[in-house]
Amino acid sequence: MGLLGVLFGRNKLRKADREQFFSIVTAAVSLRGRTDLRPSDRAGIVFNPVESQFFEELEAELRDLLRVSAHATGTRYEIKDDGYGTRWVVLDDRDFEDLVATIHLVAETVTEHGFGDRLLAAVFGFDYKGERAYCVYNMKRGRFYPFVLSGEKERDNAAEMRLCALMEEEKIPVESSLERWYALWGIPF
Amino acid sequence: MRQRSYGRDRELTLRMAFTGFLLLLVYMAFGLLLLWAGINPIFMVVFGVVMVAFQYFGSDKLVLLTTGSRAVTPEQEPRFHAMVERLAAMADMPKPKKLAVMETHVPNAFATGRNPKKAVIVVTRGLLARLDEGEQEAVLAHELIHIKNRDVMVLTWAGLIVIMAGYLMQMLFWMSLFGGFGGGGRDRQGGGQAVMIMLGVYVGTIIIYFLSQLLILTLSRYREYAADRGSAILTGAPLHLASALSKLSDDMYRIPEKDLRQVKHANAFFIVSALKGDKMAALLSSHPPVEKRIERLRNMQRDLERPSIFTGI
Repeated sequence: MGLLGVLFGRNKLRKADREQFFSIVTAAVSLRGRTDLRPSDRAGIVFNPVESQFFEELEAELRDLLRVSAHATGTRYEIKDDGYGTRWVVLDDRDFEDLVATIHLVAETVTEHGFGDRLLAAVFGFDYKGERAYCVYNMKRGRFYPFVLSGEKERDNAAEMRLCALMEEEKIPVESSLERWYALWGIPF
Repeated sequence: MRQRSYGRDRELTLRMAFTGFLLLLVYMAFGLLLLWAGINPIFMVVFGVVMVAFQYFGSDKLVLLTTGSRAVTPEQEPRFHAMVERLAAMADMPKPKKLAVMETHVPNAFATGRNPKKAVIVVTRGLLARLDEGEQEAVLAHELIHIKNRDVMVLTWAGLIVIMAGYLMQMLFWMSLFGGFGGGGRDRQGGGQAVMIMLGVYVGTIIIYFLSQLLILTLSRYREYAADRGSAILTGAPLHLASALSKLSDDMYRIPEKDLRQVKHANAFFIVSALKGDKMAALLSSHPPVEKRIERLRNMQRDLERPSIFTGI
């Protein structure tokens, strides 16, 4: 935030930065042969809804779009609240590229409606050595980071560091400051 | 790209700028007064800066000590931590260093710490128990925005003049008690003049002390409005904060305010108690009246439902 922002206490949410988002696609292709890291066939996009009729219109349109795309690509979808004020569109598809494309479609629609600043993250589920792992794309920062769960409420930091190295190898832009590896509790998939 | 804009609060920005300008004038008046009286300000400035730096660097530790709050780990309070972390991600700021709970049934919360990384958010047990999910989220967002806006920094450093003027006031008070005013009194005429100058400085300092105090309290109230606004934008639900505020205000007046953002120093002399009365109470409060805050949040909700906020960017 700039000096004027601090002096006058002005606040805006940062707009979504989707520039690096598609780097996950090529990475996923080259990771295909691995046995320790497998896509869970599920992904999601999480946003913070606004209490406004315009946002309700947006959500209605999203549902229509998802229904249509489910027809075309076979991607199943669900919309869920996580109890932390954020809402998820959860997608289920064996084709990783379909997951990426559908998330992009959702993000695009949200942005078109003028709510791009409400997008928080896109999350891809993986199975990493038997643990629930997620590749999180933080829309505010335009960077990926790993989030690995060893239990219901426990993060496996060691596994996250290993996964991070793997992501960097695949040229995925990883969030460099560790304090921005926000825990996303309550991921509904 | 189209972007839904929540509209800047121009009026609030203007008011803050005007208050800042007035504060600057008071600083200048203080400087002129010292120059006129031939007082070397160096001790006062050093004292003021040391005091402010102490507040500034110690605020995060001090707050936990003086309020008896206890830092809680994610294992102890998973929901509290998860909620703050989610909001911090949304606001694109680091999660505050410490989250703490104060064991009292009165619902309240505050934030302190000189920068986002050192920040502490404290909530009372009552807040966690009595507010619903949306309301808690709104209150936490409000505190996060205080941190993001660096209100501790802005208000502590703006308060430098209060500390300096307070210091000078005390010095003059003690000097007058021990007969320092006359400067020995050998030359009656010169002594009389010196007394007049000292009296002038004394009165001037008192005026500056209370003017700057008033201005800083005003600034503090405006920053509350700004944090309310930021919270509403962050959660996307202005009315959650509105309902939280009305719940908090029910109990709040019954307890002494433990808000450490308020710059407190040298309440020593008399005037605060002499200025009681409803209008004065509003002027001397670090927070705007809850009804006004709620009204502003309602207006924000109305704005969210209006098509005219659609702006091209």
